[in-house]
Amino acid sequence: MLIENMSMAFAAIRVNKMRSFLTMLGIIIGIGSVISIVSIGDTMRNLFSDIYKDVGITQGYLYIGYWVEDVRESDYFTLDEMERIRDVFADEIAYIDSNAYTSADASYRRTTVSFDFSGIDANYIDVQPVDMVYGRYLNEGDILGRRRNVVMDTDSARLLFGEENAVGKTFRATIYGSTDEYTVVGVYRKNMNAFQALLMGSGGDTGSAFIPYTLLTWPNDTFYAIRVFAGDDVDLTSFFARLQAYVARTKNRQPQDWYLQTAMDEMTMVDSVMGGLSAAVGGIAAISLLVGGIGIMNIMLVSVTERTREIGIRKSLGAKTRDIMIQFLTESAILSACGGAIGILLGAGVVWIGGSLAGIPVVVKPSVVVLAVSFSAVVGIFFGIYPASRAARSNPIDALRYE
Amino acid sequence: MIPYTDRLAGLLGRRKTPPYLTENLSEDLIVLDRLVKIYDTGTIKVLGLKKISLTIRRGEFVAIMGKSGSGKSTLMNILGCLDQPTLGHYYLDGVDTASLSPDELSEIRNHKIGFVFQSFNLISRTSALKNVELPMTYARKSKRERRERAMELLKRVGLEARADHMPNELSGGQRQRVAIARALANDPPLILADEPTGNLDTAASEEIMELFSRLHQDGATVVVVTHEENIAAFTERIIRFQDGEVVSDRKNRPALPESRRGKEEISC
Ligand SMILES: Nc1ncnc2c1ncn2[C@@H]1O[C@H](COP(=O)(O)OP(=O)(O)O)[C@@H](O)[C@H]1O
Ligand SMILES: [Mg+2]
Repeated sequence: MLIENMSMAFAAIRVNKMRSFLTMLGIIIGIGSVISIVSIGDTMRNLFSDIYKDVGITQGYLYIGYWVEDVRESDYFTLDEMERIRDVFADEIAYIDSNAYTSADASYRRTTVSFDFSGIDANYIDVQPVDMVYGRYLNEGDILGRRRNVVMDTDSARLLFGEENAVGKTFRATIYGSTDEYTVVGVYRKNMNAFQALLMGSGGDTGSAFIPYTLLTWPNDTFYAIRVFAGDDVDLTSFFARLQAYVARTKNRQPQDWYLQTAMDEMTMVDSVMGGLSAAVGGIAAISLLVGGIGIMNIMLVSVTERTREIGIRKSLGAKTRDIMIQFLTESAILSACGGAIGILLGAGVVWIGGSLAGIPVVVKPSVVVLAVSFSAVVGIFFGIYPASRAARSNPIDALRYE
Repeated sequence: MIPYTDRLAGLLGRRKTPPYLTENLSEDLIVLDRLVKIYDTGTIKVLGLKKISLTIRRGEFVAIMGKSGSGKSTLMNILGCLDQPTLGHYYLDGVDTASLSPDELSEIRNHKIGFVFQSFNLISRTSALKNVELPMTYARKSKRERRERAMELLKRVGLEARADHMPNELSGGQRQRVAIARALANDPPLILADEPTGNLDTAASEEIMELFSRLHQDGATVVVVTHEENIAAFTERIIRFQDGEVVSDRKNRPALPESRRGKEEISC
């Protein structure tokens, strides 16, 4: 009986090809836009999580809370204290520095370029790998000796020196009020896709460079904050809580006096904001599905009226209310399921083509596809119910007499 | 109220034949008790049938005659359970049809009645075979059973070669024979035909009537509406209608010439 109904439905759909297609169009557009919008959202979320992975998902910052009023000298970190933290959490800390950065103009001959300087330790390359193309990375000697050596990327080197290989070149910069000569010891190449570059705001006319974090002490010879990269297998929540508690204890404060921010929390937040956004826009797109459903109902009503006589014949031969009902419901469900399938191909296709043009890996979740198909079938059945029940309830003799 | 065990059997899929579908094998297949049909067109009320009381016994071959507008179709539609009387009772095989729900009436039409219409009423864009299968589809017969039985019936009406033809590819006589095959699908005890030859030429009409004669000889109860004397001549009983009333009801000696009896092959 099911197969019978299916073949009857397909036959009826085939008889009016153009009309069936136009009916499906509403569903095609609805499902297509829902799929593409949700997939674009998922793709963006995926990109952001990739960016966070690049930035270092295991990292966290800790500093005295901005809400604490009686900030003491001891709330800042000394080099010795950082050394001790590294020792206490030796198994868990992969990297630690002061998260210090500053902007300053760098001058080479007649060229002056605004630069962002980030203070790092020598093993920063272990947690944030870069491809060195010229010279070397900063080393222990640079850090401990507070040498004014820098490492920069090829773009920055080109900005300031006009060439990528700037090893050995020097420039002047005023950092924390002191004007000094800095020497380039190494140049690396950035690896980013177009989208990441756009988001991270690389380029333009600002350079960036790594300098020993020991050069960026403030205030006096202390650091305002610490930045920690945990090891790969570390339980981040527990580790950062213990770190916070330890720092508070050594500085005679409560843990809640310390401000802790982890990349994980940040990412979760961004992700949920973006998830909410794409759900909201997807919801708006789903309204077009409703419009598509009404289109199906309209056509099914026409179809029922046109086939009143056929319904009468079927009833005269013994079709029950349910038989007629199922026949028309099958038809509307098939119409919208076909529309849904085409819509998925179209929506996913658009996203895929767009993604491959922009060089971004596209995410089309199977769950979204399943949801869209079920939703379109439900739309078909829901909007088919009224026409189908109208057909099914008709009195056989009235239906047979219908002209 | 359906007995609990019956409902349980229904749930388990082992449906017991409902009481209204079991064949009573009563002598009187059709009993009409003061049947009245009033058509309410809104502006005027038309009296279609005026207190018709009538009995048709199992195995009878009856012709209903009368002028156009005399109420023949009105009666046939009620006999076929396509319509309901305004007043009075229609007992089919001992069951009062007024007590049945629309779906139960569907089952009655499906199992007990084969209706043949003047305008054939085949489903368009659907092959002759599929059309004949339809009542069996609604009787939930298996695909194989349907196909075999439909082919057998098409053979019986001489159309096995046209099984895959669409209705619009068949002549009027052929369409009516497909319709008759379809009416026989579930082997109903009652065959009703409302002017089955009304749209056919004389030769095709005679072939159709010969088919009905043979069905009657095989034991079916056949009621045929016609306003042609030579068609009515095939039957054993002629009931005449006028203005919604029976004006004459008499036996007839069916005219079946020897020459027609021997004719097995029917061509159209
Ligand atoms: N659906 C209907 N609505 C109103 N009047 C009807 C309807 N069907 C039949 N009639 C009327 O009932 C009477 C009997 O009609 P019918 O049974 O079709 O006659 P016949 O089949 O003998 O030609 C006629 O007067 C006809 O106008
Ligand atoms: Mg009539």
